[in-house]
Amino acid sequence: MKRFTYIYLAFLMLTTGCKKFLHVQPQQQVDASVAITDAVSAEAAVNGLYNRLGSDGYYGSNFISLSYLMGGDIQWTGSQSAPAQIAARALTADNSNVASAWTAIYRTILSANYIIDIVPGLTDPLLTDAKRNQYQGEAYFIRALAYFDLARAWGGVQLITRPTYSKSDQEGIRRSSVAETYAQVLGDLDKAEALLPVTVNRNKATQKTVWALKARFYLYQRDWAKAESYASKIIDDAANYKLLKPYSAFFANNVTATAESVFELGYSTSFKNGHYNWWLPPALGGRREWAPNGNLVTLLNDPAIGGNRNALIAQTAPPGNLWYGKLYYRNPTGTDPAYLIRVAELYLIRSEARVQQSKLTEALQDLNAVRERAGLSPATATTTGDVLLDIENERRLEFAFEGDRWFNLVRTGSVKNVLNITDPNKFVFPIPVSEIIADKYLDPNLGY
Amino acid sequence: MNRLYPKGVYLLLLLLMSQMLVAQTTITGTILTDEQVPLEGVTIQVKGHAVQTLTNNRGGFSITVPALPVLLLVSHTGYLKEEFTITTLTPASYRLIRNEKNLDEVVITGYSTQNKKLIAGSIQTINSQTFRDVPASGFNQLLQGKATGVQVNANSGVPGGGITFRIRGNNSINASVDPLYIIDGVFISNTDPIQTGLGQQQGSNPIADINPSDIENITILKDANATAIYGSLGANGVVIVTTKRGRLNSRAKVSLNGYHGWSRATKKFRVASGAETALLTNESRINTVKDNPALPPPTLIAEPESQPTYDRVSDLFRTARTSNYEMSVQGGTDKSAYYAGLGYLKQEGIVRPSNFERYSGRLNYDNYLNRQIKIGTSINISRTWRNVSSNDNNPQGVINSAIFVRSYLPVFNTDGTYARYGSFDNHLALINYLGNDAVGWRTIGNIYGEYAILPELKLRTSWSLDNASEYENNFISSLLAAGVASNGSAASYETKNLVLTNEQVLTFIKSFGEDGKHSINALVGNTINTVLSQSTSATGTGFASNDLTAVSVASVRSGSSAQSRSKLLSVFSKASYTYNNRYTLDASFRADGSSKFGANNRWGFFPSGGFTWRADQEGFIQSLNLFNELRFRASVGLSGNQNGIGPYAAQGLWQSGNNYLDQPGIAPSQLANPDLTWETTRQTDFGTEFSILNSRLFVAVDYYNKYTYDLLLNVPVPNRTGFATYLQNYGAVSNKGFELAIRSTNVKTRTFKWTTEFNISQNTNRIEKLASDIALGASGRNISILRQGYAVNSFQLYKQLYVDPQTGNAVYEDLTKEGNITAADRQIVGNALPRYTGGFTNTFSYKGFDLNVFFYFQQGNKIMNMNDFFLVHGNTQANIGFVPRQLERWQKPGDITDIPRVTTSSLTPEANNSAANNYGGNVANLSSRYLEDGSFIRLRTLSLSYTLPASIISKLKFNNIRAYIQGTNLITITKYGGPDPEVSSQSGNQNTAGYDWATVPQPKTIQVGVNLVF
Repeated sequence: MKRFTYIYLAFLMLTTGCKKFLHVQPQQQVDASVAITDAVSAEAAVNGLYNRLGSDGYYGSNFISLSYLMGGDIQWTGSQSAPAQIAARALTADNSNVASAWTAIYRTILSANYIIDIVPGLTDPLLTDAKRNQYQGEAYFIRALAYFDLARAWGGVQLITRPTYSKSDQEGIRRSSVAETYAQVLGDLDKAEALLPVTVNRNKATQKTVWALKARFYLYQRDWAKAESYASKIIDDAANYKLLKPYSAFFANNVTATAESVFELGYSTSFKNGHYNWWLPPALGGRREWAPNGNLVTLLNDPAIGGNRNALIAQTAPPGNLWYGKLYYRNPTGTDPAYLIRVAELYLIRSEARVQQSKLTEALQDLNAVRERAGLSPATATTTGDVLLDIENERRLEFAFEGDRWFNLVRTGSVKNVLNITDPNKFVFPIPVSEIIADKYLDPNLGY
Repeated sequence: MNRLYPKGVYLLLLLLMSQMLVAQTTITGTILTDEQVPLEGVTIQVKGHAVQTLTNNRGGFSITVPALPVLLLVSHTGYLKEEFTITTLTPASYRLIRNEKNLDEVVITGYSTQNKKLIAGSIQTINSQTFRDVPASGFNQLLQGKATGVQVNANSGVPGGGITFRIRGNNSINASVDPLYIIDGVFISNTDPIQTGLGQQQGSNPIADINPSDIENITILKDANATAIYGSLGANGVVIVTTKRGRLNSRAKVSLNGYHGWSRATKKFRVASGAETALLTNESRINTVKDNPALPPPTLIAEPESQPTYDRVSDLFRTARTSNYEMSVQGGTDKSAYYAGLGYLKQEGIVRPSNFERYSGRLNYDNYLNRQIKIGTSINISRTWRNVSSNDNNPQGVINSAIFVRSYLPVFNTDGTYARYGSFDNHLALINYLGNDAVGWRTIGNIYGEYAILPELKLRTSWSLDNASEYENNFISSLLAAGVASNGSAASYETKNLVLTNEQVLTFIKSFGEDGKHSINALVGNTINTVLSQSTSATGTGFASNDLTAVSVASVRSGSSAQSRSKLLSVFSKASYTYNNRYTLDASFRADGSSKFGANNRWGFFPSGGFTWRADQEGFIQSLNLFNELRFRASVGLSGNQNGIGPYAAQGLWQSGNNYLDQPGIAPSQLANPDLTWETTRQTDFGTEFSILNSRLFVAVDYYNKYTYDLLLNVPVPNRTGFATYLQNYGAVSNKGFELAIRSTNVKTRTFKWTTEFNISQNTNRIEKLASDIALGASGRNISILRQGYAVNSFQLYKQLYVDPQTGNAVYEDLTKEGNITAADRQIVGNALPRYTGGFTNTFSYKGFDLNVFFYFQQGNKIMNMNDFFLVHGNTQANIGFVPRQLERWQKPGDITDIPRVTTSSLTPEANNSAANNYGGNVANLSSRYLEDGSFIRLRTLSLSYTLPASIISKLKFNNIRAYIQGTNLITITKYGGPDPEVSSQSGNQNTAGYDWATVPQPKTIQVGVNLVF
């Protein structure tokens, strides 16, 4: 009977051509082997890379929320335990929000690695050298940003610089040190700087975007002189970058990509930012599970401290009277930008770098530029310590909903006295436990 | 005497024949039934000679014999064996009489029909009589408690809603665990077509598109010997449905059937009153400050006792009506037979506003073109309409909005508008304005042709289609919370699932040897199968008014579409050999090629074998004079599974739609696995069946052992690769179990009959091999877990040992013995799979009266009561009310209870016996105190019917008149504290069973109905 079956099978193969019959190709996806083959698909891959950077897990909402929930000014009003843990700064290694940020960042790195690997070898005549360089430069820039975020959030990580073609790729790679991770960031930034054009594009990486990130990078490295000089490169470009007045001018009334922005991710109906859903109260169609706590509301509403930055918050109708954040408010279109680098940050970077280089007067000028825009009187601090504290407090309100607070406190060490966290192990997030299980080459962060 | 007579004739014939010369003579004739219907496939043998033949489709035969007279032995399954003495050559017709004792002797097996007594596989046939009139929309739901080895549960009380249906346990983790449904030879799509977001529930039961009244019987294939012929589709068991067909030469019979039913909830939700809620709130606020004196003094609700109570729960429920009307005609001429049926069912949900409505039509037609060729068709067309609403984690679901809101808060604002609290909508607004309409059209059709090349050799070709389309139109008005900010939103979805199947089967049936000692039943065939899924959706927001509800008039619109295809190519063969009616050896083989798998491993091969021994045919058994029937079966085989994984699962893919700044973007989405192949289930089955006491007691016992390996598992890969999971063949699951069925005729007199049927099935499920734990469920709370060494559908929670009578704080088991409570102390505390399921039916008939009492039971499953999880929160949820269980909290030293002291303290959450962990802290309320025993026994149906006496009926020119009254779910005995223990709110994923989360409970129904046949 078996032989008969095989004969029958052979007969069928001849008649219906079953090999062809069983070969079905998708329509909404494309096979990996033919994903990037020409100028058009290379551009699509770069768009996909920005999409990954702005995905829900990364800058879309989750990654930045780790920072502002950890920072002590934002409360969690929902019932799920993962964000509740973050807001209580009692992270465990199985925290699902931490894990999804980790996942999202490495997914972004994968896209960048593909572009860096494949684009140089494309032979499409329509792919000009300028475009070829730009695509690679953008990939290097985003990879630098991704490793920068991994380093400041988790410490030294595994450095993956080649795309994954099969499951066994990337085996055996162990974690690098923090210094090595930052060295990778700098290497990528240098390459990006060499490849990208000197243009202004607030939604995509250019050489200017690289300078702005370098300013932040050197601030984290405590290389004050370089931080100052790279910040100056942007601040001095006053024709393109300036502090808008009032504070709300960079986000209110549906504006996007204003002169305030050095780098922001744009969203559209085909790529939505779901962030507003967590901030807006139910009456405005959201869940308000992230909300400014009492301290932050008091500070923002204090005319001498918050100034016109009280535009960031509003109150629901009585009898609720609940305060909510309204930096992300475009419901239901979901087109709120994700603000990655604003010129205000470069002023505050330069201010701090200058304090550290004992240039107090210039430092105060930068700080006061930000204060003045917020409708505040100039700072009165006179000592190095006081000015640094003023800068820290200025950042707290200036970037209240932009995920700066936690990383900034950890960077300066203020996290000890501000948030009472003394165990240095807790200055970084836990490596997700699911990752530790899946990867025998990955060591956990101590203390988790 | 009876036996002596033929023997005498036989001897006489032998004597005569020995005197005659050897000559050749051909006898012709026709075999008919009592009702003059020609019988096809009847075996004709000549006593004492090795010649035999089968009748053709007109009942005719012709056989060559040496000389006259001869004795013809005529046998056919389902009929009494007859012997006819032939003395002349004149063609004549002979009658066979139905064997009333063994009407169910013939069963449908994969691609063939076989004598039940000779089958080696575990197969059970359920006659539609046993589930007629039950007000359930899908036939799969009707099998609950009727067959062994089959677990059937309705996931909710929503009419037309999802059903959990498992044959011998869960075989898989990522791939499908649903059986293959075949209706009149058509492979049916069981994909839920509802796209509207309804929480984690399965939105609909696609099987509800079929009118159960059109069904003649249902056969369930359980073991490998029975299912291996379906190869890669058969691992989860096969449900073969045969619909009613007309008979040749039968008078047209018209049947009218109608009933009306009224349903209410078996038990409603209960919430704490306004005064109780205020009291608990104040108590918690006082306790919290006691726990942490650094806090400011508590602000209390003034006069808690005089807080009003607004009853929202009563608004949810209604007495739901069910109406069902059916008409069918069946009959046949000498060449053709027909069955036509029309049906209408309307069923209201007991919780507003869900509804289900079905119009169904069926036409089955068979025509004999000539003696050799028969063609026919089966067509089912139905239209369903559902009004759907969401459950579980959607705060804007109807039930959530009614039970979660604190009961002292008014339903309306002072200005008369709907009041909303927190993220919850107003339940009345939802009941009045929720507009989720789903209209489905289903066409299941089949055209076949049969060509009898020889009487023993038959070729059948069949072309079939299952076209399921669903058109959903939703409008969320600006009066609902979800539509406020967007000024109304609308969505329109069009979904299509198409299954095309072509099959050819060549069947060979022949007996040979003296008295047909050897008989062979063999077949070979092939299948070509294509599955196509398409969907298009359009959404819009911003409407000028709530009367304009179409997406097309929205101010902001967007759309999307999806399409996928998969193909399957198969060849199969089966052979069964029976010796002397005693021993049967079965073997089958199937080869499947699937487009879903990697080029390296596309083909799978599924063999099986089985053996049956009819011990009752042996002399030594017969001499015991004990057994009327005794049979032993054993089988082993492989079957496969490929359902439930994506159509392009083996390919490395880049996903489109990763756009940026409205420019198209692509990004890697799936890692290639060119080695991906079939998930395989190896099953062994041992069974025995016997009947004793003059066939009044029948017992069937089965033991099976299933081992599923090479699971199609999403194995987590390190995220540094840029991917989270990788679909590969890894892991194993086992299911082992016993099945017992007993049928007994307790009393049988001329006017009174009492029969009892009892069945019980036990299954033990275990994950044998898994890469790492997979935790999921309850919207990110990961209460369900898959872990090696445990059953699927296990729950992981902090195990509450007791509530300290002194402090009132909950004490949990410190699994790690490190002195504090951390995530590592979560443990598996039970699972959602019942250990035993079964049914118990008693039927009494006296003259025209029939009383049927049917109990269903299941034992050993746990239910995670998410309503308690949320509503017993010690006031940690400011926007959420309480259920009465919260009132059982600890209040003063010495109180013994399992509900800890109410507080919202968050100090020292790592400490065991800390107030923080009562409702929050590290435990985050993930406590085993909300996991309850879900065992129950329920009076599933109780029906009393009266059939008018034949004398009156014939005077009225009717064939049959029957009226009945029936109750469904009248009594439920359970320890479960929620509304109903038959529930599974997160049934959209097979691995998150056993949750009760703001879900419609089962209805309790009373109905009256009448059947007329003329």
